[in-house]
Amino acid sequence: MNPEELPKRVLEAYIGEYASGKSENAVNRALELARLGRKVTLVDLDLVEPCYTLRPLKRKLGEEGVTVLAWDTGEMIGLGETGNILKPEVRFCLRHPGDVILDIGYGSFGAQVLNLVEGAAEEQELKIYAVINIARPMTGTVADIVDHVRSLGRVDGLINNSHLGEDTDLDFIKQGALIVKEAAAILGLPVIATSVMEELAPSLGKTDWYGHPVRVIKRYLPQAFW
Amino acid sequence: MGIIEGEKKAFMTGNEAVAWAALVAGAEIMYGYPITPQNEIMQYWTRLAPKHGRKFLQTEDELSAGFTTIGGVLTGKRAFTATAGPGNVLMQEPMSMAEAMRIPTVVVVQQRGGPSTATVIYSQQEVTLTCFGGNGEGLRVVYSTSSHQELYDYTIKAFNTAWKYRFPTFVLADGYQAKMRESLVLYDPEERGIEMVPTEPFVGKPGMPGEDRPPAHLRNTYNIEEELEEVLKKDIQEYEQMAPEIIEYDEFNTDGADVLVIAHGVVFRSAAMAVRKLADEGLKVGYFRPITLRPFPQEQLRQAAAKAKQLMVVESAYGQLLKLVKDNLYGMDLPIHTHLRPGVGVTPEEVVADLRTVLEGRED
Amino acid sequence: MDIQPKMPKSWNAATKPHKFCPGCGHGLILKALGQVIDEMGIQDRVVFGCDIGCSLLSWDFFNVDTVQTHHGRTTPVMVGIKKARPDRIVIAYMGDGGGYAIGSQHLVNAATRDDKITVILVNNTVYAMTGGQMAPTTMPGQKTETTPFGRDVEQAGYPMMGPEMVAAITQEGAYVARGSVAKFRKLKEYIRKALENQIAMRGFSFVEALSTCPTNWRTNAEKTWEFVEKIMPEQYPLGELKVPVIKEG
Repeated sequence: MNPEELPKRVLEAYIGEYASGKSENAVNRALELARLGRKVTLVDLDLVEPCYTLRPLKRKLGEEGVTVLAWDTGEMIGLGETGNILKPEVRFCLRHPGDVILDIGYGSFGAQVLNLVEGAAEEQELKIYAVINIARPMTGTVADIVDHVRSLGRVDGLINNSHLGEDTDLDFIKQGALIVKEAAAILGLPVIATSVMEELAPSLGKTDWYGHPVRVIKRYLPQAFW
Repeated sequence: MGIIEGEKKAFMTGNEAVAWAALVAGAEIMYGYPITPQNEIMQYWTRLAPKHGRKFLQTEDELSAGFTTIGGVLTGKRAFTATAGPGNVLMQEPMSMAEAMRIPTVVVVQQRGGPSTATVIYSQQEVTLTCFGGNGEGLRVVYSTSSHQELYDYTIKAFNTAWKYRFPTFVLADGYQAKMRESLVLYDPEERGIEMVPTEPFVGKPGMPGEDRPPAHLRNTYNIEEELEEVLKKDIQEYEQMAPEIIEYDEFNTDGADVLVIAHGVVFRSAAMAVRKLADEGLKVGYFRPITLRPFPQEQLRQAAAKAKQLMVVESAYGQLLKLVKDNLYGMDLPIHTHLRPGVGVTPEEVVADLRTVLEGRED
Repeated sequence: MDIQPKMPKSWNAATKPHKFCPGCGHGLILKALGQVIDEMGIQDRVVFGCDIGCSLLSWDFFNVDTVQTHHGRTTPVMVGIKKARPDRIVIAYMGDGGGYAIGSQHLVNAATRDDKITVILVNNTVYAMTGGQMAPTTMPGQKTETTPFGRDVEQAGYPMMGPEMVAAITQEGAYVARGSVAKFRKLKEYIRKALENQIAMRGFSFVEALSTCPTNWRTNAEKTWEFVEKIMPEQYPLGELKVPVIKEG
């Protein structure tokens, strides 16, 4: 990515279906920005029974220069039993200087979760990206994706994150890119990127088959259970 | 028209796999009460159900979830519920009624840490409870799954086992399986040639009761010991007769194994990886995995054990599978090593290390 | 001349005479219910659920489909049936212990959810089948095996006012009444209205029936009648507590 293309502050919220890869995309985005020498804050807003979360990654991400706003699992009693408790500083995360990446969990309320963040409604620069994996049965077709994204509330762009875990191949990602592209056209939204796991990235280059930028994903979340 | 056309590869959590499986199996209603880590079963069922004309009722607790499920089944509907941990404790009361009255309920259990509230995360500590909970003889079927594909396959199968044999049937998984994401193949059972066992109402059949047909008078209370014994004898006999038809297990390299590893559920995956790694090195290790914990594959385990020099039981509990194993190997003289981690996951590396210790004769 | 009064058609003649104690109110309540089932012509649509305690003895009382459940769990079983088969008319029949103590959460939640079921709860102020212990409905000062000196409300708490509670937490389509075996025709009318309300799917329907338990009250016929007719209504006023708002058209 060309650093000049980035706005002064990158403010992005990652939203989408359960297990669509929101957190993975948010984590990788935060690291990508940090590696460019930018100040980055990554925010845990995953409120519906999160089990793969940023919590266990806090230290690792901290070492790489990303400030993570999330509880430590061990410092909260009964996470999952009591629901996720909103960490107070999360409410004021947009007041952190520099880039802010928000990882928003799934749930019936979609992008309304941002109502919990001070200034989110007024912040013009905040972009909300819906992460789509066509292997998720409820976002498997163009029509389903359109319905799903409309149910989320405000969305500013789509990210094709189609994969099958370890069984992923390029064909599948390509299939995803096409379906997401068609859905985006109906929704009048841009496709921000196609995300590709690092093992497959070398065979793809900087853009995918349809000219969408490629983001390389290193998988952190399998190590981030509870 | 099928809900799923052809074979569909999907990437999802185990909880979702259960919801989809119940949907394609023709489950008509779910009753449930929230508890981690099974919540997404309800959350996905409630997202899917209205599109397919299915129903859901959120009850006031797991007692009610279990008893309303019984009510649904009594009307001849494929009804199910899901629970975990302390919820599974409460679920034992309704399931003992289902056991007593041969009501084909289906319950999915996502084990969490215990005893008490403990952790919402994971364990294999609900084996004894799920197999033998309630004040009875454990006349139930318990499938222990180890992957998302199995969660899908066995949830479908659970409805058929329950309705064919009329014993309450459990799919026993855990918080890891509930929440992990992996790919699996979704399919319509019919397209695979799996015929769903037809259901039948216990109450509300057509006709005037007492005239066109006898009224259903269903009870679980008896007056005298012998009356109860007669009912139980028949149930136990039918259970034992059914057992060989539904027992499932998996085994590998059992012939002349220096160590035969016994594990179930998600721990089996770690155990199998460890065993295969050492077997590849030429070491004589094998595994035996009970898929049905109730009824237990007794004969099959005894045959495998007879060919082995020693055993190693691996589980995320402090001896619940071990107890089943010992019961079923009664009379066989065989050293049993253990790797017991109550409420904690087991990695292949740990099993490899323990196996090496045993194989090299550095006793634990 | 017929000396024996006619048995309701919906009763199961093969299980009569019934097994309730002499002077027990269950027989009267089940007779009222049987007559209502006959008059409404719903015998083939009713699913009857009975609890543990003396209500259990009704498990083969009717020629209607019947499920005997667990103590306190008749409400959820009937709710489950109604959700799966809304065309059935379900009746949850229980005592005060089953409905107000061990199964109170189910009563509260079924009423709050406005489940379209009918609960008939028999209030005889004692745990009868277990031998006369204090029930949630034992009256202040009343002697039982576990309140041998009379129910001391400071120590043992106050009795449950079931219909009052149910009336307070239900929607406007609910029907809630307290009848008594001492006012048989009224009781029958309440049961009928409760079932009609269920059939019309207006809301939750609840009838508490004050009943007699001479065995555990240790009363003769005269004292038994006096207790249910005169004394119990002092604590438990009779009448309709909630009548559904019926929308015309």
